[in-house]
Parts: sequence; structure tokens; C-alpha cells
Amino acid sequence: LYEDQIKKFDWRGVNVGALKQSRVDLNHFQPRILVTTYEGVVASLCVKTGELVWRQVLEQKPRGDVKLLQVSGFADDSSDTAAAPMGSNMGFDMLTVQGHAPALVRGWNTNMGALEWEWSIMPMNTERAQDAMWIYSKSVLYHVLPAWRSHLEVTAYFASSGHSTGSTSKVIAPWITSESCTLSGTFYVCTDGKQLISLDLVSKSGQVIRTSLEAEPKGKTQALTGLNGVVIVDGKPISVNKDQSICGDLRSSSFAVGSFNYRKVLAYADLSSGILRINALYLDNCAPAAELEQSLPFPEHFGTPSLSNFDCKQKRNGEGKNCLFLFSSTSESIVAVQHGRVRWSREESLANVIDSQFVDLPLADTEGTLENEMKGKAGDFTSFERDIASAFLRRITTQAVQIRSLFLHVIGLGPPPTDTQRAGLVRDSFGLHKMLVLLTRAGKIFGIDNVSGKHHWQLHLPNVIGFANDEQMRLIVQRSAKHFPLQPLCTILGKNAVSGNGVLYRFNPITGKVAEGGLVQLDYRIKQLSLLGETEKDFLKGILLLDASNKVHVYPEHAAPLADGMYLYTADLKTAELAGYFVKYAGGQLSSTHIWNARLGGHNSEQQIIGVAGKNPIEHVHSQGRVLGDRSVLYKYINPNLVAFVTQAPDSTHKSVLNLYLVDVVSGSVVFTMTHRKVRAPLSIVHSENWLAYSYFNEKLRRTEITTIELYEGKSQANSSVWSSLQAPPMPLVERQSYILPTIVEALRETITERGITNKHVLIGTASGSIVEMPWHLLDPRRPIASTTQGREEGAIPYIPELPLPTESHINYNQTVARLRNIYTAPSGLESTCLVVATGLDLFVTRVAPSKTFDLLKEDFDYILISIVLVALTSGSLIVKHLASRKLLKQAWK
Amino acid sequence: MSAKQNPKKLKWALDFNGSKNADIPSPLGYNPSALVNQSEVVRDQRLVIKKSWDLALGPLKNIPMNLFIMYMSGNSISIFPIMMVGMMLIRPIKAIFTTQVTSKMAEGAQGTGQRIVYFLGNLANVALALYKCQSMGLLPTHASDWLAFVQPQTRLEYYGGGISFV
Repeated sequence: LYEDQIKKFDWRGVNVGALKQSRVDLNHFQPRILVTTYEGVVASLCVKTGELVWRQVLEQKPRGDVKLLQVSGFADDSSDTAAAPMGSNMGFDMLTVQGHAPALVRGWNTNMGALEWEWSIMPMNTERAQDAMWIYSKSVLYHVLPAWRSHLEVTAYFASSGHSTGSTSKVIAPWITSESCTLSGTFYVCTDGKQLISLDLVSKSGQVIRTSLEAEPKGKTQALTGLNGVVIVDGKPISVNKDQSICGDLRSSSFAVGSFNYRKVLAYADLSSGILRINALYLDNCAPAAELEQSLPFPEHFGTPSLSNFDCKQKRNGEGKNCLFLFSSTSESIVAVQHGRVRWSREESLANVIDSQFVDLPLADTEGTLENEMKGKAGDFTSFERDIASAFLRRITTQAVQIRSLFLHVIGLGPPPTDTQRAGLVRDSFGLHKMLVLLTRAGKIFGIDNVSGKHHWQLHLPNVIGFANDEQMRLIVQRSAKHFPLQPLCTILGKNAVSGNGVLYRFNPITGKVAEGGLVQLDYRIKQLSLLGETEKDFLKGILLLDASNKVHVYPEHAAPLADGMYLYTADLKTAELAGYFVKYAGGQLSSTHIWNARLGGHNSEQQIIGVAGKNPIEHVHSQGRVLGDRSVLYKYINPNLVAFVTQAPDSTHKSVLNLYLVDVVSGSVVFTMTHRKVRAPLSIVHSENWLAYSYFNEKLRRTEITTIELYEGKSQANSSVWSSLQAPPMPLVERQSYILPTIVEALRETITERGITNKHVLIGTASGSIVEMPWHLLDPRRPIASTTQGREEGAIPYIPELPLPTESHINYNQTVARLRNIYTAPSGLESTCLVVATGLDLFVTRVAPSKTFDLLKEDFDYILISIVLVALTSGSLIVKHLASRKLLKQAWK
Repeated sequence: MSAKQNPKKLKWALDFNGSKNADIPSPLGYNPSALVNQSEVVRDQRLVIKKSWDLALGPLKNIPMNLFIMYMSGNSISIFPIMMVGMMLIRPIKAIFTTQVTSKMAEGAQGTGQRIVYFLGNLANVALALYKCQSMGLLPTHASDWLAFVQPQTRLEYYGGGISFV
């Protein structure tokens, strides 16, 4: 990568995560929006555009879990703290409390996101500290530690320095439980039947306040942020503070407190029939603030909005149009509403991408007719003479149609282009332009241009969640864009949040529109799924579903005959048991037979599966063997049914034992097994062709290691034409080697190309957010130990345990991906190029060429110079030829 | 006027009528069989045969020089050994294909033998070049040379599945 190629082939999306707490401050000398998120991020957003001003990614959970956000200002009467003078260690712009053991209290400079000071406390009882809550009141930070059904412990600290103000006070409260209590300002409020029992934790009296309710609350009470002692019970605000009255008969789904015209205002927002209505009341006299009332259409893909915070700009002519309302939503978007419209929005569900697919773009219409002609020619298998004649007629007709369409286009009377062509979504010559379809944990689906990063479409699936055992929803491409004029089709498989049954959702990945009925609710729970081959009628790949009672279903139904002879396996994570099934289609019915079982859990069933890695079903292995030094061939053991399982168990002697099993999941035979002692997670594993690479942490030597395994069949192939797992294939020869990595590995992925000719590289995603491209011949287990010159294989590098990570191998240079979690690769139309997307908190899309771009001219190819030289040489030769003929003629006349 | 006066004023004339001179005897010392040179013809044939054998044995005489060139060029694959081996291979093949032109000079009793020796000499040179190619590793005689044409194995079983969802 050269300096002029920065951001030429890649782009990065920076996210902060789902909104947790926010402060909108339009009257600061620099207007700002300060947010904390569920991903442990503190950030400042631009008021006008929603872009990031600064962002601080805190530690991972639970240490990075933000408990309290306190901003200096004048809106909240309980925070009368002056802003910190520049360079001092007192006061704060913004204060956050995060974690519980230890609890970290930090002061920030909100203009640049700099951390100014920090202190921490370590509680005696770390388990109870998880339920701790924090109160800020008059420069004092109170640590509230509940002991359920017994008492509360309240400890006071000075907010800026962490000095204790005295001993811990103990408040006897035997009615407190975790599901019925909440903290609102300085009031600890619990529900008990038809009444609220409250305690003011800051006052000296310690008096118990009882407030009666009209009905027993159904849901959990929530605190109304910004008011002291006000809770929301079933959508209705109730005040337990006698100094703070609340207007009666209010009911809404979300409330926020702000100020308007120097008066305190309670705003609430509701969504009904796609219309978002915002209303507001003055808190002193309950009069409606009519200037703040707004009504706007709310797009469906945002989900259900929830008002988080708002602020109004002062010293204008008093209109309410300068108020900014900040919403979070169930689809993890951050939406800013101003002037009765959505001013900007941030898609923070992209911080939790769970699946990704690169979908080919459709052909242009003119190329589509050519494809149609080729398809029609292949389909006609009538007599030879008629085939030739009809092909000729079709060719002439197609060209006549093309000439006519070109003529009409020049005049301007041609048919209008389709929507995909108008949006520029047409396949390019090299297949590098694709639609990146991203499925996120919140049930939101995005269609993003992989070249420019533009969001073409988005969809939201409410009430659909992932499966059990931390298995996420699946995104499956059922039909690609190759079969013109049929549209491509994608399917999402998930679980209904209420009933737990399976859910299917079909959509067009190019346009983002619902296809073939859209949502399908199944009446059984999905245990496992598989993709079948293409049907001949509509080129649709069927989906094989195994339900919880081991019955087999195929969707769509007409693809059921393709499931005949299919093998399935399931793995139970906790007990480490594998089961294999055989699917049969007979008499119009599908059935499954349990054919093998394997227990990897050991004699005590204490081993648990922590990693499963199969091979990529679309990969091709171009070279079937490896050339040795004496020019013989060591054939590769390419078993397409081989799956790697990694189990881990604590051990009394070795502290932790990691086991690797290579299992043929068609026959159930264990091909290879390996044990590592004193090693533990984090485990990353990649499985391709005939090799396997996995990284782990060595606890004995306290470093990250990566072990590579290669499987070979030997100097001769047992069967060179077919592979069958049921015909007793020979046991492979296993080569293995370990290397040391100077970083923590978060993700491993191999590059993949269409025909498999290009070298394989392993992309290593590190904990610092870099993606390193590691050539396979550095990870090769056959690197020689002794460097003898005789019998050396081609390209074999002598073994050195430490793997280098040069800065040139970082494919995302300084564009780090925060909280890197997964890397996805896909082949492009070029054989040399592999498309890469890295997901985590951020999103990074690029392409890599492991063997250089051998099938492309360089982008700095000098077309102009070559053209000039060619024209000059051609014209020079013509001129010299003319001059030579004249000279010969003159000589002949002498 | 001169043509009219010629028959009347002829001073002298020559008569080329040959019939009168037909029986003039030969000059003194003339031998009619002296132009035939039998010994010279015999010596010329011997020279032609000798020159033809030189041509026929030319390829065989090149073998020691080719052996020396092979020794000096080494077994590594680089531009100059490739060029030398290329020339050693192409030149005998070209000579084999031009045997018809060369054999026109080999007319005579021993022509067939000369052609066979010439052909076998060129074949020997080709064999030397092939041996050189083999020692350099350029001949496709090992299994690794045909690895690019090995087709992948067709799989008979297909599987699906993974970690249990329930």
C-alpha cells in the first residue's frame, strides 16, 4: 500500500453504540451533545450533523460499564458546580462513573475529550458491588450499595478528589428487591403492592415516604432523569418528592426534562401509526408549551423511538423551532428531531454486526438480454440444423433490438432505466463493486455500497432475536444476481422473541424491498439449518431446517427432493456431544435418521466446546499437492467434511487444558486430536483447504501463540477422482508447528478467491484494532528447523518462532477498528483480489491482493506515455519509409 | 554503282566449297583420342566422396565441444544456460529438417550411408541436449510437473449443521 492509495480502496465507519445517557446543551459557548452508550463509549456529537467530535472507547465490560453521567450546567438544579478552570484539578466539565470493582470516577474535558483526573474505589464485597448505584448532589458523590431485603449502605465522597466525607451510613430497608426498586435523583423508590416506598438518601431525617397508587404497577418503574424523586409507573409520572410536584393525568412512553424560556419543561413523545408526536408542559403551572409541539412522520426502519434528552436555544424570538430532541430507538439508532423533521440520524446498530454477505450487483439491461440469449441457446437441444438457425435468428433479432434501443435512447424516447441502474447499482467489469449486506444484533439489515460506503437501504425486523447458546441470526443468500431477469434473494433466519419459534424473512438485497411474502412465522423451534443446492426451476437454494424434535423441513417446499442424501450434525456446547443425522426423502416425505454420536467431553463431561470451524463451502483448492525437494508430490488431504472442534476444561494439575478434535461429520470418525496444557481462551480458529490455524493464550509462558496444522495424504492419492467419507479414507499425515504472536488475537480469517489460484493469507485481527495480513508460508508447519540446502522445498523459510508483524502488513494502516470482533472475506470477480470487511465497534471495508494484482494493470500505468511513444514510432517509421523510397528512386536515376 | 561493276571487275575470290577439301589429311602429330582424361575423372570422384563424409561426420565431431559447453554452463536455470541449451537443441533439429538439401551433395555410391550417419549424428546432439535439460530439471518427468493438471476430487456427500440452536 502506497501513500497515494490511502482511502482509495477502503473506508471506515465509526460508531459509538446504542444510546444509554445523553445531554443536549445548545446554550454552551460551544453547542454539544454528550452521550454514553451501552458499548462503553463516551462521545461528543456535532449538533448540526451528528458526526463525532470526539470519542473515547472505555474498557471492556464490566469495567467499562458507565453507571453515571454528570455534566456541569445550569439546567439541573442539583448540580451547582462551576466548570473547571483550564489546567486545574478541581471541578469538571463532565463526570462519569464506570465499573464496579474497581469503580472508576473520571473527569473529562468536553471540548477535546481529554481525561483530566481519575480516582477509583475498591469495594469489600465485589459481588454485591454489581448492584451499586451512584448519586451526585452538591459536589458530593454518593455510593449506594444495596443488600437486598436488608439495608442500604450509603458512602459519600467528594466528587473531584475521591476523599471520603465520613463513615458509611446504613439505612435499614427490609423491603428492597432488585426487581422492584429504582433510584431517582436522591430518592430510592420501591414498589410494594399498590404503594411506593421511598427513602431520601441524602437528607438527615431518613424518613420513609409512602405514596399510594391507583393500581398495582405491571412493569418495572423507571426513573425520570432530570427531576428529583419522580418515577414513571406504567407510563405515568409519579412524584414521591414533596418539593417537586408533577402534573397529573400524563401518560406517554418516554419523557424528558429540559428548559424553555428559562422555565422547566417536561416533554413527552409518542409514536402512533408512523407519526411521532412531541408535546411539552411547563412544570410550574402545567400549562402546555404550545411552541414545542411537533408532529412528523417517523420512518419504520428506526423502530420505536424513546425521547432521551432535549434542549432549546435561548435568546431567539421565543419560538420553539430551535429545540433539538434526541431520541434513541429499539433499532439502536440515534435520531435528532428539529423543526418538525428528522435532522440527522446515526445508525449505531452497526456496532453489533453479526453476519455479513457480499452480494453481486445485477447486470445492466443490455447485458441482461445477451445473457438471456446465451441461456436460451443452451436450453434448446433440438436438432442441430434448427438450433443453428434459431441461434442465428436470435442473434440478429437481439442486435436489431439493441440498435433500435440505442436509436431511441439517442432521441430520448427510450424506456426509463430501472431503479437499480439509476442508483448506479450495476455490476462493473471486474466484480469489485458489490452490495454489502450487514445483519445486526438489533434486527436491522443494511445494504451498503462496498466501494463508497453509502447506505442504500435499511430494514428493521422487530421481535426477532438470535438463537440460544450465543448463536446469532443467519443471513443466507438464496439466489444471486446471475440469473437474469430473476431478482436476487436473501433470507434471514432467527427466533421469535415471544414464542421462541423460528422466523424466516425474505428480501431483495439490491433494493431492500420485501420479496416473496417477507416474514414467515414457523410453528417449530429451529435446532440447525443447512443450505441445499439450486433448483432447476427458479435457481433457488433451498434451506434445510432441523427442528427441536429432530424433524426435517425444507423451505421452499419444492426444493425438498434436493435434501435426499444430506448429512447433518449438531454440537452441544456444554456437554460437548456431537450427533450426526442422515436425511432421506422417500414417498414425498422427509425423515432424518440418527447415525452417529461422539462425546468429546471426557470421562467427567467437564470439557466444553469453545470453537467450531468448518471449511468455507464455496472455496476451491486449485493445487492438489505440494512439491517436495526431490520433485515428488505430497498430496493434500482435502476432506470437505472435516470440522475442527476445540474444547476446554479447567484441570487440577495444569490449570486449563485445551483439546482439538478433527472430526469427519459425515461418518463421525475422529481424524486427529491434539492436547494443549496450560492454555486458555481467547481462541480464534481458521480452517481452510488442508490446513488449520488457531491462536490461544499460553498461561505458562504468558504469551499468545498460534498453532498451524496441515494434513497430507502421502506420496500417492488413494482415489484421485472422488472423495467419499464412507469408503474408509486413509488417515492423514499431520504436520504441526507453533509460533509466537506479539499481540492478542481477536479474529482470524483466511483470504478467498474464486478459483483458488492466489496464495492464501491469514488476516489476523488484533485487540488494538489492526488487521495484519500474514502470508501462509510464514505460518507453514513445514518450515525447516535445520537449514540444509539439500532437499529444500520451494519457498520454505527456516523456522523462527517469533512471527514478524511489519507495519506494511497492516491493511488498515492507522484506521483502527475499535473492539474488533470479526472479519469476513469474499471473492471478487478478479482472481487476485479478495474483499474484506472487519466488524467490531467500527466497520472497515477494503480489499487485499495476496499475490499482488497479477491480472490487472497498475493504477499508475502510464497510458499517455505509451500512446505517445507508439504513435511517434509508427509515424516515424512511415516517414522514414517514404524518405528511403525517395532515396532509392534518386539513386536509380543516377 | 559498285554492285553493278562487281561481276565484271572481280580481282580475287575465295571458294568455301568444302566438298573439295573433305579428304585433307590431318596435321602432323594430331591424335584424336588425346582429349579424354580418364585418370582425372577418377581423382575427382574420390574428392567428392571425401567431402561428403566430412559433412556427414560434422555433427558427431561437434559432440566433444557440446560436452564442454554443457560442463561450463552449469545446472542452474538462468538466461545464459537456457540460451545455450536452446541452441544445442534447436540447431540439430534444424539440421535434421534440412537433410534433403544437404544430401544433394552426397550423390554417389555411399550416399545412403552418409545420410544415415548424418541423421544419427544430429540425433546424438539432440540426445545430449535432452540430457542437459534433464539435469537442469526442465523435462516433465516427475509427478510434480503434472500437478497443475490434477483435477480436484469430486465429493459424494454434503453436510450441514453446526452448534445446536436450542
